[in-house]
Amino acid sequence: MARADVLVIGGGVTGTLAAITLADAGASVTLIDAGVNAGSDANAGSLHVQMQSRFMRLYPDQVPNVEASLPFYRAAAEEWVRLDAVLGGVELVRNGGLMLAETPDQLAFLEHKADREAAQGLSVEVLDRTALDQIAPWLGPNIIGAELCRDEGKLNPLLANRLLRGRAEAAGVARITGKVDGLALTARGVEATTAEGPLQADQVIVAAAWGAGRLADGFGVSIPTRAEPLHMNITEPGAPSINHLVQHAERSITLKQFGSGQIVIGGGWPATYRGQTQPPLVRPASLLGNVALAAKLAPAISGLKVIRTWAGMNTTIDGASVIGALPGAERIVMAIPGDAGYTLGPMVGQMAASIALGAQTGFDSERFSPVRFAV
Amino acid sequence: MTEITFTFDGHKITAREGQSLAAALTEAGHRAFRETAKSADRGMFCGMGVCQECLVSVDGMPNLRACMSPVRNGMVVAKQAPFPEFSGAHVESSASKHLSPDVLVIGGGAGGLSAAITAARAGADVVVLDERKVAGGQYYKQSADGSILDAQQQEGAELLAAARASGAEILSGVELWGAFDPLLFLAQQGDTAIVARPKTAIVATGAYERPVMVPGWTLPGVMTTGAAQTLWRSYGTLPGKRIAVCGSGPLNLQVALELARGGADIVRLAERAPHPLKRPFASLKMGAAGASQTAKGVTMELALRRRGIDMRNACELVGVTQSGSELLATFRSAAGVEDTIGVDALCMNSGFEPQNEILRLLGAEMRYDPEMGTLRCHTDDTMHTNVSGLYAVGDCKGLGGAPAARQEGIIAGAHAATATGHGDAYDLFAARRALARHRRFQSCLWALYDIAPRNAATMPDDTLVCRCEELTIGDLRGGLEGRPGHAGTLKRSTRVGMGRCQGRYCGPVAARMVAEATGKPIEDLSFFAPRVPIKPVAISCILAAEEALDGEG
Ligand SMILES: Cc1cc2nc3c(=O)[nH]c(=O)nc-3n(C[C@H](O)[C@H](O)[C@H](O)COP(=O)(O)OP(=O)(O)OC[C@H]3O[C@@H](n4cnc5c(N)ncnc54)[C@H](O)[C@@H]3O)c2cc1C
Ligand SMILES: Cc1cc2nc3c(=O)[nH]c(=O)nc-3n(C[C@H](O)[C@H](O)[C@H](O)COP(=O)(O)OP(=O)(O)OC[C@H]3O[C@@H](n4cnc5c(N)ncnc54)[C@H](O)[C@@H]3O)c2cc1C
Ligand code: FES
Repeated sequence: MARADVLVIGGGVTGTLAAITLADAGASVTLIDAGVNAGSDANAGSLHVQMQSRFMRLYPDQVPNVEASLPFYRAAAEEWVRLDAVLGGVELVRNGGLMLAETPDQLAFLEHKADREAAQGLSVEVLDRTALDQIAPWLGPNIIGAELCRDEGKLNPLLANRLLRGRAEAAGVARITGKVDGLALTARGVEATTAEGPLQADQVIVAAAWGAGRLADGFGVSIPTRAEPLHMNITEPGAPSINHLVQHAERSITLKQFGSGQIVIGGGWPATYRGQTQPPLVRPASLLGNVALAAKLAPAISGLKVIRTWAGMNTTIDGASVIGALPGAERIVMAIPGDAGYTLGPMVGQMAASIALGAQTGFDSERFSPVRFAV
Repeated sequence: MTEITFTFDGHKITAREGQSLAAALTEAGHRAFRETAKSADRGMFCGMGVCQECLVSVDGMPNLRACMSPVRNGMVVAKQAPFPEFSGAHVESSASKHLSPDVLVIGGGAGGLSAAITAARAGADVVVLDERKVAGGQYYKQSADGSILDAQQQEGAELLAAARASGAEILSGVELWGAFDPLLFLAQQGDTAIVARPKTAIVATGAYERPVMVPGWTLPGVMTTGAAQTLWRSYGTLPGKRIAVCGSGPLNLQVALELARGGADIVRLAERAPHPLKRPFASLKMGAAGASQTAKGVTMELALRRRGIDMRNACELVGVTQSGSELLATFRSAAGVEDTIGVDALCMNSGFEPQNEILRLLGAEMRYDPEMGTLRCHTDDTMHTNVSGLYAVGDCKGLGGAPAARQEGIIAGAHAATATGHGDAYDLFAARRALARHRRFQSCLWALYDIAPRNAATMPDDTLVCRCEELTIGDLRGGLEGRPGHAGTLKRSTRVGMGRCQGRYCGPVAARMVAEATGKPIEDLSFFAPRVPIKPVAISCILAAEEALDGEG
């Protein structure tokens, strides 16, 4: 095949946005995707901005990184608002997100968190039960208050994926299915090895999520991308009632209602890893625990039926995105959003494309540089 | 018989105790049970809890399947709106039941009951779970009030009595919704959560019917032939007065005759295949393989002819429309001549799809059977799958018919009992020989019919394929333009198969379309990935199961 100016590895939301940005700038772009376990295909479409308590609990050492990224999250949510308009509607709704508290301790934790977030420019407020009843009357009796983050929202990821893919095709991005086994620098650029033969490009953008770390090995870094299989549930449709993205101050849950009326319940419950080429397996304990928790927080939904569960592959790193050229290879640019990767993906993809084009990214990209993983 | 009354959208309805809500509503002339998101009316279609089209709200609880819910005196039933208000149901701890039998039989039809009898007689501790109010399965479908209609029902009653006498515990009205490795099953029976951890499990969940997908097949009053049969055999209800039956296969013949004997006016029996006499060699082969069964078929046909029923071969349904309270069904003959007739109900069956969700979830090996157009679960000759402790019998493996299901049940029951230390599975020679004979007959039988899945290319663009998400074949064709490499990709881009029935009708079509477009052969992985829950399950039931498992410690 013809030599591409830029080869984008990974066709999730990050790679697709990188490819669109490059093609719009006039580059000849080829996108190669292995077609398995894309987080973008499995995710729940929450636009996360406030710090997720699950994350703070699981990875306390990464909290400073997340906190410093808050303005970035907010900008990423804004970017989705722009995309919603450009793509002609991805059912984006930005009514904010509620993080629920059941105990005074939890409420105190949220107040403290809200102060830190407000300092980073987020629009947050802690509400008591009376105020909550005005906006979320379906909440269970145990809830005593919540933090409202107005920057948060939700969208329909299936619709967004379809429209983005169409947009990439229209921009002239050549999409192929295949897996890149390794990258090597050549005299004129970069060569990517695949089972179907080598691909040549001037530059490469690695937007391969859990597969990205391995491709960067040998270029002066060791990026700890980790595949994290997660569980999701979806119900049959109900009357539109839940306007917010709902989380909990201490427990792992996200709950929201799609435009279809269906309620999506998730929030990081584990699934069973079965290797990179097979989708993860649903665990009974996650299905039961996740849905039972939802029923306890919002008993009003307990008459609805769960019609499906699934498991998908998330990618975690160290709490911050990885964006930028490899220290050992300027022509290889990494684009890994890390946590809340669907929220961040478009921003990350576009910033990586800007770096490849030699343009400004608009953000202090030093913070995201892969150099922090230098070996 | 006790008469009871209830209301449907304010209309007072009189019904007989034991009737399903769907039967009572049908008898009272109500067809439209729910409204879709796109404001279309839907009614009972499969009659067996699979299609999720017969949803109604009962006493404020939304989305109950009318075909699986018995009538109760004084119940307040309403047409189901597409987006019900949250019921605000209370979360209470419900009862739970823990089972750890030697042999758990899932499905109490011909195959499951036979397995249970054999295993229990060998001394194993056996529990049978069945979804319907009365076990017996599709072939031996029992009446709700215990009355016996004919020899087929009598044979079923005897099998059920033998199963009860064998010491096997039979739990009815149990919906199994979760299956996990290693042999953990979650089910719901009324308000009770069931957690089963058996030593061995025999899956005997049978099949559901393949429809004839034409424009209008989703209109209320159009139903599967088996749904009409259930109305009549289980509840003494006719689906309407003027009825047409179409598709392909012997069930259409049998049910047309049953309904005619019950007093219905069968105005058309359309069979897609040419008449067997046009294929004398194949007919002779079938006669040789199963003389008595062939004779039964010939007798049925003669009886239908004697009644003057308009039977047409090489005749296909091409579309259905609604005109007032009447359905207008248009048929096309081999010569291309179309005619339209008005009916109250239109029955369709074009073969069967195995209910293999549990098997696929647990990772049982599946192979594609191009003649039937379905997956077949591969078992060894003890009916054991490649998953340790998991057996499969009957139509859930791939179509085989009730007599074969019984023999497979006997074989699996004996081996599962032996595997758990009861009896020996030696003397199965007779069962194996009978099984071989039934299988021979089945393959000759189906050679005379035309159930090979229809080529999607011939379907008009406006034919609905995914009933739940209201997608047409045109929508799927549009989705193919994104060059999906897998049915799952097509699903994500078009939403095909994302509804309540989980792709039971559209899934096979989507899998074939993608396979055709990609040029890849059809295999297990070509179909939508199996996922729990097997059937929609209320959040409150999941909560109950969680508490039950939590209590296990
Ligand atoms: C169940 C679940 C729910 C989630 N919910 C949310 C949410 O609500 N909100 C949110 O913001 N985030 C959510 N996430 C996270 C989010 O989905 C991901 O972080 C995000 O989609 C990552 O996008 P990506 O484009 O970077 O990578 P992906 O979408 O993961 O795509 C990476 C692609 O690269 C391919 N690939 C990998 N290695 C190679 C290789 N060597 N060669 C070729 N191709 C390769 C993969 O096959 C894959 O297609 C969720 C994740 C999961 C699993
Ligand atoms: C609607 C219908 C009508 C039919 N009528 C005839 C007929 O008149 N004559 C004829 O020759 N053949 C008929 N057949 C074909 C015939 O039913 C089968 O060949 C035969 O019944 C197969 O026996 P089986 O034991 O494999 O399955 P079945 O007899 O169908 O038994 C399966 C049982 O499993 C139960 N089950 C399924 N899933 C679950 C679950 N998740 N949880 C709990 N229980 C479950 C069902 O309720 C059912 O009782 C019919 C098939 C269908 C679908
Ligand atoms: S008719 Fe009730 S589920 Fe199909």
